Amino acid sequence: MEKIPDQLGYLILTEDGAVLESGGDLENDERVATIITDLISLSNSIDPVAFGPEEKFKKISITYDDHWFSICISNKKIYVVKRSIQTSSSEIAVNV
Amino acid sequence: MEKELDKVVEEIMSTPNVNGCLVADHQGLCLASKGSAHVDSAGIIVAISEQACKIQPNLKPPTVCLETDNKICLIQRHGTITGAIFKQKGAA
Repeated sequence: MEKIPDQLGYLILTEDGAVLESGGDLENDERVATIITDLISLSNSIDPVAFGPEEKFKKISITYDDHWFSICISNKKIYVVKRSIQTSSSEIAVNV
Repeated sequence: MEKELDKVVEEIMSTPNVNGCLVADHQGLCLASKGSAHVDSAGIIVAISEQACKIQPNLKPPTVCLETDNKICLIQRHGTITGAIFKQKGAA
């Protein structure tokens, strides 16, 4: 996780939100861990019309002006990475 | 009063790959919805944006992007209003 480019911090959580590993800005950040596990459980119940029951989210990103959080689940663990956004003053990156 | 909002929603819907759009207030009540976005999901969308705001409450509200294999849901809060756009992942 430390080798991810532009990484500012990371968290590896169990499905119930317990911190397994952490580093950087997110070191032992249980507050963010709880918020993210709540966010994942909320996202599971989003629009059944737009997203069929078989369509589970595979990635969530939360984008701020100069950094973003990427959240994925793999092998029953939640991976969260905080990464910085490199922008020059003349362009604004839109993450779609 | 809704005309302005309807105009914005229409504009969003006319963008390529967009198949749904929803606007809700801070209580989770739907103000406008179009396409595949269902009125009932307004509450959850507002709850997701509020939850995301809690991560860094001193910064301006972030954009939340939820991705499945071929669809994307973008959620952005502006003041008390929360907007969500449902997109199909384009070829590009």
